[in-house]
Amino acid sequence: MVNIEIKINGKIKCIDVNPRMRLIDLLRNLGLTSVKEGCSEGECGTCTVLLDGKAVTSCTVLAFQADGHEVTTVEGLQTNGELDVIQQAFIENDAVQCGFCTPGMIMAVKSLLNENPHPTREDIIVAIEGNLCRCTGYLPIVKAVEQITKESVDLQ
Amino acid sequence: MKPSAEIVKIADKPDLKYVGKNVTRIDAKEKVTAAIKYLDDFEMKGMLHVKLLLSPHANAIVKSIDSKETEAVPGVIKVYTWCNTPEIKYNSAVFYPGQNDLEDEKLFTDHPKYVGDRIAAVVADSEEAAEEGLNRLKVLYEELIPVIDPSEAVKKECETPSGKPLEIHLSCGQFEEIECGTDGLIIVEDEVSTQKIHHAALEPHSCVAYVEPGEIVTILSPCQLIFGVRYIVSKVLNHPLSKVRIIKAPMGGTFGGKQEVILEPICAFIAKDLGRPVKLVLNRKETIISTRTRAATKGKVRTIATGDGRFVGREVDVLTDAGAYMTGSHRVTTAMGKKLFRLYRIPSQTFHGTTVRTNTTPSGACRGYGSPQIHTITEINVDHLAKRLKMDPVELRLKNLVAPFDDDPTGGPSLGNARIIECVNRGAEAFNWKERFSFTPKKGRYKRGVGMACSTHSNGYAGSIYPDFTAMYMRIAEDGSVLVNAGLHELGTGTLTVIAQIVAEVLDVDINKVLVSEGDTLYTPYDVGCVASRVTYVCGSCAKELAEAVLDKFKRLSSIVLEIPYDDLQLANGIVASVSNPAIKLSYGTLIARIGTILQEEVGGYLSYRSVTNPGSYAAHFVEVEVDTLTGLTAITDYLAVHDVGRAINPRMVEGQIYGGVQMGIGMALFEELAYDSRGIPQNASLSRYHVVNAPEMPQVKVMLIEEDEPTGPFGAKSVGEIAAVPVTPAIVNAVNWAIGVSINVLPLTPSRIISALGAL
Ligand code: FES
Ligand code: FES
Repeated sequence: MVNIEIKINGKIKCIDVNPRMRLIDLLRNLGLTSVKEGCSEGECGTCTVLLDGKAVTSCTVLAFQADGHEVTTVEGLQTNGELDVIQQAFIENDAVQCGFCTPGMIMAVKSLLNENPHPTREDIIVAIEGNLCRCTGYLPIVKAVEQITKESVDLQ
Repeated sequence: MKPSAEIVKIADKPDLKYVGKNVTRIDAKEKVTAAIKYLDDFEMKGMLHVKLLLSPHANAIVKSIDSKETEAVPGVIKVYTWCNTPEIKYNSAVFYPGQNDLEDEKLFTDHPKYVGDRIAAVVADSEEAAEEGLNRLKVLYEELIPVIDPSEAVKKECETPSGKPLEIHLSCGQFEEIECGTDGLIIVEDEVSTQKIHHAALEPHSCVAYVEPGEIVTILSPCQLIFGVRYIVSKVLNHPLSKVRIIKAPMGGTFGGKQEVILEPICAFIAKDLGRPVKLVLNRKETIISTRTRAATKGKVRTIATGDGRFVGREVDVLTDAGAYMTGSHRVTTAMGKKLFRLYRIPSQTFHGTTVRTNTTPSGACRGYGSPQIHTITEINVDHLAKRLKMDPVELRLKNLVAPFDDDPTGGPSLGNARIIECVNRGAEAFNWKERFSFTPKKGRYKRGVGMACSTHSNGYAGSIYPDFTAMYMRIAEDGSVLVNAGLHELGTGTLTVIAQIVAEVLDVDINKVLVSEGDTLYTPYDVGCVASRVTYVCGSCAKELAEAVLDKFKRLSSIVLEIPYDDLQLANGIVASVSNPAIKLSYGTLIARIGTILQEEVGGYLSYRSVTNPGSYAAHFVEVEVDTLTGLTAITDYLAVHDVGRAINPRMVEGQIYGGVQMGIGMALFEELAYDSRGIPQNASLSRYHVVNAPEMPQVKVMLIEEDEPTGPFGAKSVGEIAAVPVTPAIVNAVNWAIGVSINVLPLTPSRIISALGAL
């Protein structure tokens, strides 16, 4: 067992973990079930979370590697019950069908917007390249992100 | 009389509030916040975990299983094999008594017939212990020679009387007679093969089961037919239907992959045996190798046409690879045959379908249920004919396509308001087809070309041997909110939203006040299931008719308690009002409470609805591809999908269905194939080796909806979810073939197939 300290969705946690434990298991064991397991090999993106603000597939990261870092999942997106702009845009653009890819997809977009608040269509497509969605054909997802970008430009 | 000219166009009714509007899907918020719990997210006290031992061999006899070491693993509770589980055979597609599909599958087997066949299950109090226990099972196999190629299997299965391939013949006219005198006629023949495909729903297969007081075996399943699951579980467990409770669980995608009954009887049996809740969640590899696939097919088509491009006759022969068990594969073969008679006017046509088993993952339902396969086979052939006739493929199709209210020449249901000609005409114009289409490939390394294809799909089971009924309860509560109690399945397609839109429209209440249930066999009335593209058309019709009856009852009872004549009452906007006396205005809720108090009656109703019509849904897709003749890589550079949907209840969700369908079809055309080596070992049982179309590969799809109202559909609506995936593959294959001047007819169009076709020029 290794003792690690991680900040998860804003709260610092000290946890003993098995060195072989994956980050996805740690998070799901903590009840953060937005983190889904679709492939277990870094290919589908359903387990995407933010590690220090950047998207990672939590099935390919070991829990202890997150020691001293900050992890964000969909559970940590809402502020005072208000939906994040990405969640809102996904709803408005019908970017959700079965919903299984949705949390990972939202975190991939979050990571993109953290780095680049005004992405081009190309940037958006590249950012979600590693996140599979079998339902929507990606187009409403891209549109949702474009809407956010456009709105933030309009605001300025 | 054929209703055509006098149809009142729904679009012309200006007062629709919910139907035809982009209502936000009702479960969107719980999905973006991840509040929705899929089965893997679901925990129960004392829940046990199940892991399956899947055969590593495609054909073998299990000589012995030694589970001593497994049982010694701390946490392992029990090991199940064919020795201590029911021997009852079943067919995973059967959903109602009297369906006599070949029953050849059992919970566990000592004669595994494919890599992935179920040998045993280990049950433990943690996933880790179950996994550890599984690793310690010692199984001795005697390997047998597998049969992988379906053509080979036809010969082999014929040798054993019990293993005969299944056959189906359908025909109209006199194909044999035309064949005798084909002078002056053009004959074009093709052989096309389509591949096995993994559904790739992002949520792997899962199931939870437990026993409730009263010996009620309860199963949570992300399935498509709760009552079908109930039927098979009841049969295998020999437990009464009334005590088998299936609850539709949240569904992370299915596309037909979760249509057939796979994990439920196993979990039910173990839960009943141990008296504890159990959970079984497959990983991706297990989902790929051991559940279901799209059936691979080999098709032969021979079309006979006049020199000016009129179809005279067609003969189609299809061999379907069922995989190791018959499952619903022969139903798929039959469904393929039926589609042939509902797209073009062909005076004489004959279809011969054969379904055979091989030592590969079982096939079954997959979005389109045979439609993508059969249309790929025949639409490639239509373009081949166009090439021979030197006739524009659009022009050739327009000469032969069916017209509204044509009959099905085999005696099947009327095609209804079939608007495929409009799809093609309007699509060709919007796509600028005439200017873009070229018979000859362009010069240069990157070659662009356009192609198109047409298709049809069903709206339910009416006209087939399967029952097509549904039933619902609908009640208005004393606060004016509405409860629709129905055995529905939300697959992510928006079913609950669509039904709520229909009900809100008829009752004229705020849609947020309408709650539509999903299925629970203990509490919701019977529904055949989310299959056969039937839900909007059949269940939507039931909801509409029931809502009309409830509204009428509400009005009648309101008339009594208010002492106002029925005809003077107006129920709108959630308000009951008197037309003659504007002072009288009561909310639905107030009036419901009054009716309850005075008349002591619930305002609601029950309707068992039977579908007797089955019009065709139609689509024409137009695509431009760019083929890199050096690498063989194909990119989709432009895409237009035109759909005759009758009427879109929710246009934005219809578009969503089409985008997803196009994405799946691109995969079938260019990338996806579940391949096996000669020993039957799956070659790409992971998402790193099985390529699913990702965002950069997805073109910007333009959608055009033809909304001419199907007179038998709710508010004019027809199906879209399955047909969206149908014309894609043949349209792309045709585009590639025109672009580079080849005639590839083996799917998918991998770079190596493209390069070798170019090399053969
Ligand atoms: S589960 Fe981690 S990428 Fe698929
Ligand atoms: S919404 Fe179903 S996989 Fe994306």
